[in-house]
Amino acid sequence: MRRDGMDSAFFNGIRTAGFGAAGVAIFSIATTAAHAATGVDAGGKPDGGLPQLDVSAFPTQIFWLIVSFALLYWIMSKMAVPRIAEVLEERQERITDDLETADRLKSEAEKVQADYEKALAEARSEAQGQIKAANDEAAAEQAKAEAEHAKKMARKVKTAETRIGKQRDEALESLMAVASEAAVEATGKLIGVTPGEDSVKRAVEAVSGDGRA
Amino acid sequence: MAGNASPTEGGFPSPVEQFHLLDIVEVNVGGLDLSFTTSAFYMMASAILVGTFLVQSMKGRHLVPTRLQSMAELSYEFIAGMVRDNVGSEGRPYFPFIFSLFMFILVGNLFGMLPFGHYTYTFTSQIIVTFAMAMAVFVGVTVIALMKHGLHFFTFFFPAGAPIYMAPLLIPIEILSYLSRPVSLSVRLFANMMAGHTMMKVFGTFVVMLGVFGVAPMLVLVALTGFEILVAILQAYVFTILTCIYLNDALHLH
Repeated sequence: MRRDGMDSAFFNGIRTAGFGAAGVAIFSIATTAAHAATGVDAGGKPDGGLPQLDVSAFPTQIFWLIVSFALLYWIMSKMAVPRIAEVLEERQERITDDLETADRLKSEAEKVQADYEKALAEARSEAQGQIKAANDEAAAEQAKAEAEHAKKMARKVKTAETRIGKQRDEALESLMAVASEAAVEATGKLIGVTPGEDSVKRAVEAVSGDGRA
Repeated sequence: MAGNASPTEGGFPSPVEQFHLLDIVEVNVGGLDLSFTTSAFYMMASAILVGTFLVQSMKGRHLVPTRLQSMAELSYEFIAGMVRDNVGSEGRPYFPFIFSLFMFILVGNLFGMLPFGHYTYTFTSQIIVTFAMAMAVFVGVTVIALMKHGLHFFTFFFPAGAPIYMAPLLIPIEILSYLSRPVSLSVRLFANMMAGHTMMKVFGTFVVMLGVFGVAPMLVLVALTGFEILVAILQAYVFTILTCIYLNDALHLH
């Protein structure tokens, strides 16, 4: 096994210095110094095979492997893994919760919208019913007014007609009297005879009867 | 020792010299050398970095994650998804282990890409480290299978529906393939990391040696570096998903 206690001092120095650029510089200086100080192959085993097959280096490596891995396993199982698992679980729970809340709110919103639409439809149908009723009422009123008006008009026409008929009758009556008079006078002037009232009346009636028919 | 090692044979430094360990603190327990080496340093650094990152980034527990928290959550969910898809809900108790394994190897591989010369060390380029991890997975998975299925576990070595006279041929093959799992698992990671870093070292040496003409290997080196980062991530993924598949076999026996 080829080791050198001197290097440990350098390594300690590095540990305190940290693995920075400064550390690298110290390393290289240290290495050079170690070369100069110890010379080649001082106290080492003869060179040749792989350094990894140097059995004398096995116990220390197995020992430190067990120590370091045990340490890591202890940190891992006692602290790191439970902590990460907890955080991930919390996050998962939070996400599930949020999704559930979102779902609930969404269904609520949908319900509100449905209610709103229902109310809107109701209002619309009610309005339409009112419009129809108003229309019907207006139409009925109009029909009633029209009917009344027609009746009034018919009455007026009838009175007017009776008045006209009466006036025509009167006119005819006076026309007959005028015609009888004219006939008497004309007969007297033509033949010098004054016909009797009855015969004149009959004659006029006979003639005017044709005319009236 | 790092600096002294370069056995400059004909001016060409050994490309595997980078895999030598450096002692940081020498530790000797009853004659057993347990020195804190560069490899150990990066193993500890990986563990601490991963642990600190995952714990600190989640500190805010933000509902809407910050960038760092997002990274931690993404890596968590990546491995959680892998375990869920490949093992199923029964894999849950093993999730911390698999997550640790992935992060540990991933960060270890990526640490190897730090440009700190001899002070960068890729502990996953050590066969003993990858083999120890693979053996831990292998033994663990076998124990889980034995505990869950008892002696029924051994039917795993004889595929259901195969004609019985094939047993003498099939059972040894199945046992051999089962036993070779830790070997292939460890060698795959180790060889990938070692080969990649050796290649980079070789091309890096060319850049230095060729002077002005070193521009050509330099371009290759740039591409290789990108490729190595990909391999670092990919091999961590491969190691982890194979662990998941072995675990699934143990829990469900094919």
